[in-house]
Amino acid sequence: MDSFLHSEFTLSESGFLFDHGTGLTYTLNETGRFIFQKIQDGSHANNLVELVTSEFEVAEDIARKDVDDFFRQLKEARIIH
Amino acid sequence: MVVFNVLSVHSMFSQLLFAGSSLLNLKIRTDDYTMTEKRHYSKPTIIRHTVGVMNKYGRPPATVPMNRLVGHEVKELVENYGSPLFVLNVQELRDNYRDMSRAFMTRYPKAQIAYSYKTNYMKAVCSILHQEGAWAEVVSGFEYDIARNLNMAGENIIFNGPYKTKAELMRAFSEKALVNIDNYDEMQVIEDIAEELGTVLEVGIRINMDLNSPPWHKFGFNLEAGHAFEAVKRALASGKLKVVGLHIHVGTYIDDLTIYSRAAQGMVEFYRYIKEQLGVTLKYWDMGGGYASHNTLNWAWLPAEQTCPTYDHYAETICPILLNGPFAAEDAPKLFLEPGRALVDEPFSLITSVAAQKRMPNGGRGIVLDAGMNILSSVQWYSYNFQTGQDSGSMIEDTTVYGGLCMNIDVLRESASVPQVRRGDLLVIPHVGAYNISQSWQFIYLRPNVIAIEDGEVHVIKKAETREYVQEFEQVPDTFTK
Repeated sequence: MDSFLHSEFTLSESGFLFDHGTGLTYTLNETGRFIFQKIQDGSHANNLVELVTSEFEVAEDIARKDVDDFFRQLKEARIIH
Repeated sequence: MVVFNVLSVHSMFSQLLFAGSSLLNLKIRTDDYTMTEKRHYSKPTIIRHTVGVMNKYGRPPATVPMNRLVGHEVKELVENYGSPLFVLNVQELRDNYRDMSRAFMTRYPKAQIAYSYKTNYMKAVCSILHQEGAWAEVVSGFEYDIARNLNMAGENIIFNGPYKTKAELMRAFSEKALVNIDNYDEMQVIEDIAEELGTVLEVGIRINMDLNSPPWHKFGFNLEAGHAFEAVKRALASGKLKVVGLHIHVGTYIDDLTIYSRAAQGMVEFYRYIKEQLGVTLKYWDMGGGYASHNTLNWAWLPAEQTCPTYDHYAETICPILLNGPFAAEDAPKLFLEPGRALVDEPFSLITSVAAQKRMPNGGRGIVLDAGMNILSSVQWYSYNFQTGQDSGSMIEDTTVYGGLCMNIDVLRESASVPQVRRGDLLVIPHVGAYNISQSWQFIYLRPNVIAIEDGEVHVIKKAETREYVQEFEQVPDTFTK
């Protein structure tokens, strides 16, 4: 389990996310799924913006704001520490 | 044969080689293509699954973009006329009027719609409805003046409201407008006018009944308490007034048809009674307004699409009851209806831009729009829908929608289903035509353009305010600047 994540998660190809710790389920969109997978793979938070911009058609400043907001969402949902 | 075979094999080999090289080239091109093209980006989003948020009645999903309004690109309209922007679909307004008029006139041929000015008294809106045949229903001297300025004949204006000045009443009676008396003080003023004009004035009496909770007792004379009968008797007793009309207005946004049926029944019984007791013959009765529009009230369980009666429902409720009144068919009083909201709400949309999005302390999302309560005062009543003006993906998130005013109370909706939008994206709020413009405040921001679209043509029907316009009547005495 990656240190980022609060518990163990299963992420499907379609973006369906299951939290083994709480039993809660979520849906991630394509970009959200990509980031979450990178977190699961152990990518460092600081590298995520770069990973997103190299994978998706998006400017860095927009990706940075969006990744920040995504992290806030994950934290508030107690998915990451 | 052998040679042929060899040639054939050679030819096949060449073809394969050629095909192979083509495939190889194609592969290289494909690889190049794959290497250079990145995936389509949408804001990373995670939505928690919850139970019970969906219902079988549904609404158009907020993810379906409303990127065109009345045949025009929403983006283009904003580029040309700014944001926020009120947009009137003229044909929809005309259709609304025609639909309501048809619903009532087919059931009560002497029905006449008098448009309730206060819901939106922009000149263009009133003109369109007058073009369609609507009379004017006004509740102040100011509104009366708007109607006259639009060349409405006084005799096609109904003057209601609890406060009318003597000068306004004098003008109304001189121009043969229909005046419905709200209280005894007003009755007395009208008696004075009758005296001054040296004539007996025809008047209507506004009555109220115990129909709703809380009851609408502010306007007119109460039926159950006997005040309505006293008022008619009192008016006749002066010898200066002749009662020819009865008026009732059952409330606002009334989607409970039983309220209208009870009101209509009350009108019939009251007419029968004053006819028997006082010999009154009505020239008109007026069922007022209050007809609902397709906007969901903040406290409603079900969306308005499920609860809002049609014009036919209203007409079918009211007209057959009134036709049982104490009169021969050919002597039926004229029936006035005073819709406002029901006519003008739906034909108007507001295009607004996202100014900011933020993550709230509870993990929820907030967005700030460039339109606030200053131009959308009906958020006090309505849970407006927010449709995207562009493709914003399919991920809907529960969102608090804030107006752009620097005021904590400027919340347009506590919880709305909004797709992923970012600064500069457009949202369309449908059904905003009633009250929002006439009740708008010039506060913090200047009020925006209002456009009307008909037959593809865009007309600016109210220009956006300027600082000069807002300050036009202000004065700074010299002593304040020395």
